[in-house]
Amino acid sequence: MSAPILSVSGLSKRFGGLQALHDISFDVARTEILGVIGPNGAGKTTLFNNLAGLHRPDAGTIMLDGVSLVGLKPHRIAGLGLTKTFQNVALFAESSVLDNVLIGGLLRHGVAEARAFALHCLEQVGLAGIAQKQAGELSFPERARVEVARALATQPKILLLDEVMAALNHAEMEALMALIRRLREGGLTVIVIEHHMKAMLALCDRIIAISFGRKLAEGSPAEIARHPEVVAAYLGRAHAV
Amino acid sequence: MLSLAQAVLDGVMIGGVYAVISMGLTLVFGVMGIVNFAQAQFLMLGMFVAWFAWRFLGIDPLLGSFLAFGAIFALGWALQATLFRRVLAAPPVAQIFLTVGLIIVLENSALLLFGSEFRSVATPYQTASLRLGELFVNVPYLAAFLLSVVCGGLLWWFLDRSWFGRAMRATAQDPMAARLMGIDAARMHRLAFGLGVGLSAFGGAAILPYLTVYPTVGSQFSVLMFTVVVLGGLGSIAGAVVGGVAVGVIQSVSTLVFPIQLQNLVLFLLFIAVLALRPEGLMGGSR
Amino acid sequence: MSRALVALALLAAALLPLALESEGYAIHVLTLALLFAALGQAWNIVGGLANQMSLGHAAFFGIGAYAATILQIRFGLSPWLGLVVALALGGLAAALISLPTMRLRGHYFALATLACGEVMRVIANTAAPLTGGPAGISVPFGAEGVWMMRFEGGRPIYWLMLGALVVVTVVFEVIRRGALGYRLRAVRENIAAAEAIGVDTARVKLQAAVISGALTAALGVLYAQFNFFFDPDTVFGVASISVRIALMAIIGGIGTAAGPILGALIVIPLEEFANAALSDRAAGLSQLVYGAVLIAMVLVEPRGLMALRFSWTFRPRRASA
Ligand SMILES: Nc1ncnc2c1ncn2[C@@H]1O[C@H](COP(=O)(O)OP(=O)(O)O)[C@@H](O)[C@H]1O
Ligand SMILES: [Mg+2]
Repeated sequence: MSAPILSVSGLSKRFGGLQALHDISFDVARTEILGVIGPNGAGKTTLFNNLAGLHRPDAGTIMLDGVSLVGLKPHRIAGLGLTKTFQNVALFAESSVLDNVLIGGLLRHGVAEARAFALHCLEQVGLAGIAQKQAGELSFPERARVEVARALATQPKILLLDEVMAALNHAEMEALMALIRRLREGGLTVIVIEHHMKAMLALCDRIIAISFGRKLAEGSPAEIARHPEVVAAYLGRAHAV
Repeated sequence: MLSLAQAVLDGVMIGGVYAVISMGLTLVFGVMGIVNFAQAQFLMLGMFVAWFAWRFLGIDPLLGSFLAFGAIFALGWALQATLFRRVLAAPPVAQIFLTVGLIIVLENSALLLFGSEFRSVATPYQTASLRLGELFVNVPYLAAFLLSVVCGGLLWWFLDRSWFGRAMRATAQDPMAARLMGIDAARMHRLAFGLGVGLSAFGGAAILPYLTVYPTVGSQFSVLMFTVVVLGGLGSIAGAVVGGVAVGVIQSVSTLVFPIQLQNLVLFLLFIAVLALRPEGLMGGSR
Repeated sequence: MSRALVALALLAAALLPLALESEGYAIHVLTLALLFAALGQAWNIVGGLANQMSLGHAAFFGIGAYAATILQIRFGLSPWLGLVVALALGGLAAALISLPTMRLRGHYFALATLACGEVMRVIANTAAPLTGGPAGISVPFGAEGVWMMRFEGGRPIYWLMLGALVVVTVVFEVIRRGALGYRLRAVRENIAAAEAIGVDTARVKLQAAVISGALTAALGVLYAQFNFFFDPDTVFGVASISVRIALMAIIGGIGTAAGPILGALIVIPLEEFANAALSDRAAGLSQLVYGAVLIAMVLVEPRGLMALRFSWTFRPRRASA
């Protein structure tokens, strides 16, 4: 593996009495699609929040292309090229879909350019048709896709997607996976959190499994699929559902 | 040294009253999430009730304070039922400007009804003071303080022990859940608002023996009350007690150091500093 | 609104004083309405675009009025240069107030800014050697001339206020349509999401506060030149300035350029005529009516008259909870 684009080492985060992340280390290679799996409450979203600067880790280092991200404000981290989506969807509800994405584009462009670029991003997620709708009035699957478009508009080097497929139907999911693959062909690195195992196994180059804030396993989709602890801690239950 | 001890003593006694008038503000916020900018105007109304009770019925303001509580409680109940009910779920801007509008209405109603003159009461104990070693205890201060302690105690008993109090706290924590338990949340809100403004009116009457009342007297107390509740944490009754005494002492002691005109400046700066550093209050989280 | 309509309204507003008595009451009231429209518009940058309910804009207003007037008294400084000084001081004061208060939201922000205005009022009352204290301060009487903003009749100062309103409104619109406007909207609607997609939320709030504070201070200079006399309780007043400024935008419609103008054109004349008509009969009656109207307004449509217009045409009313 050549020099990793993102390198996380010894990351820990505590909320009161709860050790949400414990000594997490992993690398992400350039243009890799890395999956993160784990049961609800495992700490996946917390991991993203620490990477994006929304939480400050208690310990550990995060290096993006050789630059340390720990202690930087979220907007600085976005400026350096790491953007995340919000699992609970955090759109600007009173603004139009286009304006939501446009604001992402302002990170690297003026208003006029950002608008054009926002339209392009909306086309990519298949929402150009509803650009003028108010974000608060969208259906849940539409909102998740606006989240993706808005993150893309910041032109990240590495994109963190937090359960954006949860509400999508099969066709929408396929379309989004195709988009992620295309973006990767264009040079983007992606980390995805998703519960849908079949999709993850098909999409990811490599998967990390976490449970109770600890890294349980790391490996190719095939390795993860037969890893005994992962199967016990996660897959067994997920398949049962 | 002696004057410092005297200032602290005075401050504690004045602060006790501040605690009671601020409890009303914090109670309204705690139960309904509304910051009542007009809270001090209810204090003004309480002072007027007590003054008229003294002037025309010969009732001492210390007794009149109960009358003031009753009258303003009823007014608060009615205002909750008609006005405040409608902005419970509204954005802060609507809540802020409803109460700001109420300031204007209450002050000018008082001006229209009672005129702009300054009114004070004459009581036999007006200038009396007790000796406590080297220190003097101002009797009107002491009376207002003791009355406040009684009132605060009653409130604590009410909130902590009575069914109404517990129902009210349940409503504050989760109106939906309270409703499911058969509590009439709207009634609890009326009760809380009546109680809240009633307490401030009560405190206003209790300090009438050493202050004067006029339609805009409330504005003197506005920032003071906000400082008290912000110090103690908005919504915390215990915080209001600590904050009240703290503000009383700070105000009293600062007059030893600064000219009297700057007394309020110290409070304002303290207020801004607390808001900036710990918006949840110095005793934050004890709500 | 179409450009032609705006141009027409502006032309009418510019020609209107020619039809009015130059020293008359009507022109006085309209000038005051223009001033408060401009103030409401400056407030709108913070209150409307960033949705930070400032109740302390009197701090900037009074700083501008006092700074320019004191400099004029002491050094004969032209009010035009006073405007420049006020812009700088107002911006600086806004930055200083913004740093500790920008994290606050809703009620807390309103409370903190209110206290900041009160701090300035106490200081101005206390620093009598500089400010004249509670007795107030007068703009020196000098020869007529544009350089000292001393005009004959009421028309020039009317045009000056109209010009100020145009400038502030243009600033507001440029901000609203530009990158800063979008970013402020992001801050208002979801601050965490705004940060995560690269908006420097602290800086954006600071920029809005500084621009708004600077403009408000400059308008304070114009007020001093219009009124000739003022005291701390007036220019730093909560009810007389801070709340009133916010009211213009709130009654007209927060966050829109037309809102504060509509609000001021309705409220100020109403206030003045009510004052004139009712103050003989009973002190406080006109203010009482004013407060009652405010309460009614908040209960009927908290988003202001502009929203009311829209809600009648196409938006279903939200059920009040
Ligand atoms: N801001 C927070 N404060 C306190 N606890 C939190 C916070 N965010 C997450 N947690 C807790 O951390 C644990 C991990 O949560 P999360 O990262 O959201 O899990 P996942 O995304 O894997 O479902 C959970 O127990 C959650 O309650
Ligand atoms: Mg999660």
